[in-house]
Amino acid sequence: MAEVHVIGQILGATGFSESSLFCKWGIHTGAAWKLLSGVREGQTQVDTPQVGDMAYWSHPIDLHFATKGLQGWPRLHLQVWSQDSFGRCQLAGYGFCHVPSSPGTHQLDCPTWRPLGSWREQLARAFVGGGPQLLHGDAIYSGADRYRLHTAAGGTVHLELGLLLRHFDRYGVEC
Amino acid sequence: MAEAVWSTDTGEAVYRSRDPVRNLRLRVHLQRITSSNFLHYQPAAQLGKDLIDLATFRPPPTASGHRPDEDEEEEVVIGWQEKLFSQFEVDLYQNEAACQSPLDHQYRQEILKLENSGGRKNRRIFTYTDSDRYTNLEEHCQKMTTAASEVPSFLVERMANVRRRRQDRRGMEGGILKSRIVTWEPSEEFIRNSHVINTPLQTMYIMADLGPYGKLGYKKYEHVLCTLKVDSNGVITVKPDFTGLKGPYRIETEGEKQELWKYTIDNVSSLAQPEEEEREQRVFKDLYGRHKEYLNSLVGTDFEMTVPGALRLFVNGEVDWSSPAFQQLSGITQTCVTKSLGMDKVAYFSYPFTFEASFLHEDESADALPEWPVLYCEVLSLDFWQRYRVEGYGAVVLPATPGSHTLTVSTWRPMELGTVAELRRFFIGGSLELEDISYVRIPGTFKGERLSRFGLRTETTGSVTFRLHCLQQSRAFMESSSLRKRMRSVLDRLEGFSQQSSIHSVLEAFRRARRRMQEARERLPQGLVGPSGARSPSSLQPRPSVQEDKPSAI
Repeated sequence: MAEVHVIGQILGATGFSESSLFCKWGIHTGAAWKLLSGVREGQTQVDTPQVGDMAYWSHPIDLHFATKGLQGWPRLHLQVWSQDSFGRCQLAGYGFCHVPSSPGTHQLDCPTWRPLGSWREQLARAFVGGGPQLLHGDAIYSGADRYRLHTAAGGTVHLELGLLLRHFDRYGVEC
Repeated sequence: MAEAVWSTDTGEAVYRSRDPVRNLRLRVHLQRITSSNFLHYQPAAQLGKDLIDLATFRPPPTASGHRPDEDEEEEVVIGWQEKLFSQFEVDLYQNEAACQSPLDHQYRQEILKLENSGGRKNRRIFTYTDSDRYTNLEEHCQKMTTAASEVPSFLVERMANVRRRRQDRRGMEGGILKSRIVTWEPSEEFIRNSHVINTPLQTMYIMADLGPYGKLGYKKYEHVLCTLKVDSNGVITVKPDFTGLKGPYRIETEGEKQELWKYTIDNVSSLAQPEEEEREQRVFKDLYGRHKEYLNSLVGTDFEMTVPGALRLFVNGEVDWSSPAFQQLSGITQTCVTKSLGMDKVAYFSYPFTFEASFLHEDESADALPEWPVLYCEVLSLDFWQRYRVEGYGAVVLPATPGSHTLTVSTWRPMELGTVAELRRFFIGGSLELEDISYVRIPGTFKGERLSRFGLRTETTGSVTFRLHCLQQSRAFMESSSLRKRMRSVLDRLEGFSQQSSIHSVLEAFRRARRRMQEARERLPQGLVGPSGARSPSSLQPRPSVQEDKPSAI
């Protein structure tokens, strides 16, 4: 069996119209993958940028997977939310990226999108807050029913991931 | 005999040790060099050359009174936090009224015991341990510069607090409170804990009382020989460093009589026995080995393999912008409203797709290069009034090298001549579409040598960005890489012997041949003589017999 180490951080996010952002992240893998150590999901702190546009989280990611096959390569899915002064949380965007498959350090920019409602809902969202959210979170990382969605682009989440692969060459995989 | 050159380097040295610090032992050797009665010491710049042999200057015993040898020279072995009393302390603590703290009383008891058993074994060299008042005062009042107005700063006060607190509560490490992450109103104690460095540190000073003979026990003659600091992580700081091969350190006392003393510091801690070290190593190796086995057992040894002779291409990707076609080889993204990013309008899809293709290498024909798979994309727009338009077509060949790739595909859309078609497209929607998307590259139905797209009008539209991670798997890689490794190791093994063995074998063969030839020659005259002498009629027949012999010999 081969092993994959993912060590990195969620740096922060830019380009969102809201401030006071936090991020919920998770890793989804196929059936052949087993998580040996590390937490599979988490939530960052709420950050309000004082100067500039970027909200910084620097949230650590440290995972160790073992795998029997190449299918189901781990995917990282993100949900960016904003928290207002009353403590209410509002969705800012859903994002997704594959964990890279070549060893080394990778700087990833993960763009996000959020579902749009009718124009009434959009107006309400602008003034009062709220807005539609996905019923099932797995639509973020699977493409099956995406065509039913009507979305708007959100900001970008920046990640820095380092990848270590082990024993892949024993099974003839070049990465 | 010439003295070694003085060591003027009194910088500190840092050592790390995993052994408990109580095994630390130092030997300090202190010796007076000059007697102020006879010699004015030359300035330090002219070391070594002007020092005249001391033997000629040893004062005759009568001139300055009887000087016992202990006064000139002293050597002591000191353990960690071993308290050696100075004359001053002995005098002080014998007086019960001077004892204030429990420590003072304890010292008094020890001193009385020592006095009863015959006096202490050290005279000039003594120590201040971590619990002595000296350590606190020294740290508080130590001057760094020559400025007369130097007073301890705010930070020094805080650090001194830390040290004093450390004595009461040793061994407490700062832990992370799990319950509350942010303290809104830090208490004084909390500030003291967190605003300054809090590593527990134990200090010990090795001192020397350099007063003139007979006048030991005055505080003003105390000099620091060596400062030892040990922290809880096993870091030992020695200032100045052990003398080792350097020359001894010197101290020049000030005052009316300038005396010169030299001292050396050596590390005489007993080394761990090699058996103990080995045992320690074995324990560590065991522990790590077991941990490794445990991890290995979690991992297992299976892996999915390809069919022999096949190359499997595995692509993970995301899309900003658009859609491929259907089933697993295709997908449709969501509809996304664009937003302005700088000068462009962008739409973020982040559409995940995973794609796997196998290439079977059937015939060995070298001229047929494998055609790498192609990714087609088609961008469409659908708006509020249900106007459906084609925005662009594009295609890109998947990269042939494994790794991460970011590809940008420029797209174009077919255009019709005339304004009517454009107006219709704008107001109602609907435009020319391609029937076969593979037309973008090479149509599937194309047979021939030259592809002509003459007559197709297009307009350039935007671009689509793909981010792909490619992996390639094949048995051939496995074999070739392992073969390479195996070959390399075999060659390495053979390299040294190949030449020698060939020469050796040649020599062996030569020797064997020579031996056989000699044997044959020995037999030959017998064969020739014998039969030819005995059988004269068979003199015609010596050849066959000789010929018979020859093959058997060779």
